Amino acid sequence: MFKSKNKSLLTLRISASILGFLFIVALFQPFFYTVDPAASDLSMRLQSPSLGGALLGTDALGQDVYSRVIAGFRWSLGIGTVGTLLGCFIGITLGVSAAWNRKRLRIVLSRVIDIGISFPYLIIAVTIVTVVGRGFWPLALTLGLVCWPTIARVVYAETLTLREREYVTAARLFGIGSIRSIFTHILPALRPTIQVVAAFTFAELLIAESGLSFLGLGAPLGTPTWGNMLNESRLYMESAPWMMFGPVTAIIVTIFAANLLGEGLNAREQSRSTRVSQ
Amino acid sequence: MKARLKAVGSRLLQLVVLLGTISTTLFLLLRLSGDPAILLAGEGASPETIDAIRADYGFDKSLLQQYLMFLWDIVRLDFGRSLVNSQPALGFVLQYLPSTLHLTFLAVFFNSIIAIPAGVWLGAKPTQRRRKILSTVVSVAQGTPAYVIGLLLIQIFSVWLGWLPSIAGTGTWAWVLPTATLSFALAPNLIRVVAASVEDTTRQDYYRTAKANGAAPNVLLIKHSLPNALLSTTSLLGAQFAFLLSGALITEYIFAWPGLGLILVQSITNLDFPTIQATVFVVAYLVFIVNLLMDQVFRLADPRLRRSQL
Repeated sequence: MFKSKNKSLLTLRISASILGFLFIVALFQPFFYTVDPAASDLSMRLQSPSLGGALLGTDALGQDVYSRVIAGFRWSLGIGTVGTLLGCFIGITLGVSAAWNRKRLRIVLSRVIDIGISFPYLIIAVTIVTVVGRGFWPLALTLGLVCWPTIARVVYAETLTLREREYVTAARLFGIGSIRSIFTHILPALRPTIQVVAAFTFAELLIAESGLSFLGLGAPLGTPTWGNMLNESRLYMESAPWMMFGPVTAIIVTIFAANLLGEGLNAREQSRSTRVSQ
Repeated sequence: MKARLKAVGSRLLQLVVLLGTISTTLFLLLRLSGDPAILLAGEGASPETIDAIRADYGFDKSLLQQYLMFLWDIVRLDFGRSLVNSQPALGFVLQYLPSTLHLTFLAVFFNSIIAIPAGVWLGAKPTQRRRKILSTVVSVAQGTPAYVIGLLLIQIFSVWLGWLPSIAGTGTWAWVLPTATLSFALAPNLIRVVAASVEDTTRQDYYRTAKANGAAPNVLLIKHSLPNALLSTTSLLGAQFAFLLSGALITEYIFAWPGLGLILVQSITNLDFPTIQATVFVVAYLVFIVNLLMDQVFRLADPRLRRSQL
């Protein structure tokens, strides 16, 4: 048991450091550029990667793939963060209110959650984005608006069990109001669960966002995002496959780190709860 | 029978609520985002066209009137005509349904024949080494979006090796890469769930009893573990079917597979709202059918449910 606990802590540390580093890259991106990602030089188009010149090659407009991949971090991580925060806010609100209420509201809300879960949300996101338009905020808010069902369901289930705990019942008997009890007893106890779902949701939103950009429905054309870069690379798969490898690596590493973080948090939580029960 | 009708009724209610929410949202968004007639007419339309569309769709009436008309049209399954080829939108979308279903069934089939045996192998004897394989496969595959897999498969098998075509309709083997892409995306999750549920059955009392009575390992696995394990797998397969209808969005686009996903992407690029709406409705309806079927499969597969509800 000790061994597995240390291992889950290690996973947690590694994934958190990778993600932390990627966020630093996103925040301070100009320091990581080799050249301006928007600068295009048609005489340098479709150059293969080289140590002396463009690290990951150049694309059809002669833009530097490496610098554009770096620029993509701000877009992707930003949308992932905003979307996850909004999704958590909606999901927690719905989940907790559904579980706390014992009457009509619960039936209605849990049905709403069921419906939300049964429908592929990417389709709804795509439709909304069509109307509200492309760009950072429309995309981030749309994704946040549609990703809440999983969060809501997990929070709902967890709150149901928390509500029956002795300390919550005791608080109720002492006459502590619902709102206060939710904020002082339920939400802090939900924190570990929420952290886990948030990490997985973040990874999922990264996939959704780059997918939408890849379809040409997310980022405005020409913006350096991984999805856009991959979409552009499709035309040059034979002559310039390196256009694809940079963004693919960035996507896989980031999503892998986020999933790993979720798994690490989950393992830590489970090892904690077994320790308590033993 | 009554319970069964009630279950169908509650699913039907879910469908109505979902469709109502989506269409109301679309209606409001479309009206809030400027003049819908201009949006519907598309870029570069002449003022006469815009006026014609405005009169045609009743945009000159009050918002409430418009909404009621809109709902009435939807109830009659009249989504208007596609702005690209002026066919009725629903009929136009339905032409692409068989192709999507074809791909979906291929993917579910191959996914199952790969993932279920793998999951059983991992779950039947959960040794340290097998667990490690499982967690590695799952976490690597989870971090790879379907379209990345698709692009890499094209790069390897079409561009470098030249073995398989990358575009739908070009040759008899054109289905292989899209199917592989979708199966790759779905398999890790299915493997994980099958492994977990098989492992779970080995901890149950009835399993221990059978084992103590001297049942052979194969009998134990096939007769006692699998039926229960596959029960929980069924619900995942249902969810995966629903996912495929949206996951196929990107895969169909990559491989130019003429299905609902491709038509949705195209109609979005063209801002063809009638078609978009018809597609979303068809997808929602499919999800509804799948959920309904899953309910029935559960009842067939699980004697406990049959007894309690009949």
